[in-house]
Amino acid sequence: MLRKLTPYLLVAPLMIFITVFTYIPVITSVNLSFRHWDFLSPTMPFVGLENYRLLLNSRDFWNSLQVTAIFALFSVPIRLALALAVASYLVRETLPSRLLRGALFLPSVTSTVSIAVVFSWVFATDYGMVNAALTSLGLAKVQWLQDPQLALWVLITVNTWKQLGYDIVIYIAGLQAVPQELYDAAAVDGGRRFHVFRRVTVPLVMPTTYFLLVISVIEAFQVFTIVNIMTRGGPAGATDMLVNLLYRVGFTLFDIGRGSALAVLLFIFLIVLALIKSFVIGRRVHYEA
Amino acid sequence: MKLKNRLVTGLALVAGLIFLSPVLYSIWMSFETAQSYYTGQYEFTLDNYVRAVAEYNFARYLLNSIIVSGLVTLLGITVATMAAFAFARYQFRGGNLLFGATVATLMIPSHISLIPNYLTLAKAGLLDTYAGLILPAISNGFAAFFLRQYIKGIPKALDEAAYMDGATPLQVLWRVIVPIAKPAIFSMGLYIFITEWNNYIWPLVAVGKEDLYTLQIGLARLYRINPGEGLVDWPLVMAACTLSMLPVLLGFLLVERHLVRGITLGAIK
Repeated sequence: MLRKLTPYLLVAPLMIFITVFTYIPVITSVNLSFRHWDFLSPTMPFVGLENYRLLLNSRDFWNSLQVTAIFALFSVPIRLALALAVASYLVRETLPSRLLRGALFLPSVTSTVSIAVVFSWVFATDYGMVNAALTSLGLAKVQWLQDPQLALWVLITVNTWKQLGYDIVIYIAGLQAVPQELYDAAAVDGGRRFHVFRRVTVPLVMPTTYFLLVISVIEAFQVFTIVNIMTRGGPAGATDMLVNLLYRVGFTLFDIGRGSALAVLLFIFLIVLALIKSFVIGRRVHYEA
Repeated sequence: MKLKNRLVTGLALVAGLIFLSPVLYSIWMSFETAQSYYTGQYEFTLDNYVRAVAEYNFARYLLNSIIVSGLVTLLGITVATMAAFAFARYQFRGGNLLFGATVATLMIPSHISLIPNYLTLAKAGLLDTYAGLILPAISNGFAAFFLRQYIKGIPKALDEAAYMDGATPLQVLWRVIVPIAKPAIFSMGLYIFITEWNNYIWPLVAVGKEDLYTLQIGLARLYRINPGEGLVDWPLVMAACTLSMLPVLLGFLLVERHLVRGITLGAIK
């Protein structure tokens, strides 16, 4: 009897945690998204799709979606292109390549809060690193984080700086899986370096590229820490990304219904992306088999 | 050839230093006085660290971060290893379904749980407690999935020999599987620890009491409430910043390989 129970007892703790902190919350969020509630009132009346309607009619939501889309649209391709170019140089197992890999990888394990604080200094108007460099060249100071035209680009830069090393590591793993013979063959055919890169490397790491593409878009839709520390969504909503809006609506305006509706929309969107991701990984396995 | 190699190593070092310069400079800055920072005459001091610890309670935040990340890692890896062992070694009714439910959590973004988890813990009276910080972070579907794959690769004959000697399942897990799977468990543990150490949004939501701030929350508050008038006291902020990065930076130097391995394994499933 006990023997039969053993596997259940072993998986029970994990299942309990997953149920309480992952699955039930999904259901709760959906339920709350149909209700009106402010954390405090004793009742939470059912209002149907009202929260969704309010959300889809609000400028904040569309602004946030647009900001997030711009962030993803620019940060993701920049990251991937840079990472592949750098990775194809760093794939060799030499000392300088290992040193550089280490340096580039470091930011992706460093706390995002610290990085956001450090870059708040880098882009500070007075006494900031970038403006100090500009003034020493005789140029004028720029209000990096106070200018609605620039703030989002600063965040894109910071995010790229932080995540680049991760992309590089993944690309290196992908590149190492490419059979050396293909490069040798290309070399025999007298392929020029860029040509080989374009015709051999890029197509062969395509599965890695798909993978990184999807996970970085998923990540872009969940960016919060650098926004919260560096701009708090400002100036004038220029960096008000989706999770920042969710945090604002839920935990500073205490509009649980609308916050939950937003969470549900984000969830649906990310699930679609995650399904694409697992589809891609499925394909990847075929590639290797 | 030798000269060329040295040149390339030199260039790589310079490139790396330039890339890391914001972080390196901020650490350097944390050892100077605010006065000297604004006048440009470098003047070494440990005062910022003394103030971060004495006036702004960073020793407490450091301790909180160690407690929270340590327990999340320990409990998370234990729970994941047990489940992984069951999924790898037992055929049981509902096993595939439960494993599917575990893997499916990888697709569910954590932000959907933010409001409900806040409510759950509020109802249980666990906001502003260590338990409130730790419990939601324990389940880790990815660790369970990954360790299951690893355990599947361990020859079953080893378990069977142990069972013949009269071992119980828990003994097999602890004496046979865990020692062999140690590298995988270590990489996963490291990965969980760092993720939790850097966690920001959940502690931000779950903790209001200053005694329970983790380093990330403490640093964010210190940066925001900045004591100076108009001008940020950057050296002080950078000292706090260095404190919050330091353990991971030191760990990074020691176990970079394991880390990279954990992350690569994480991506290429």
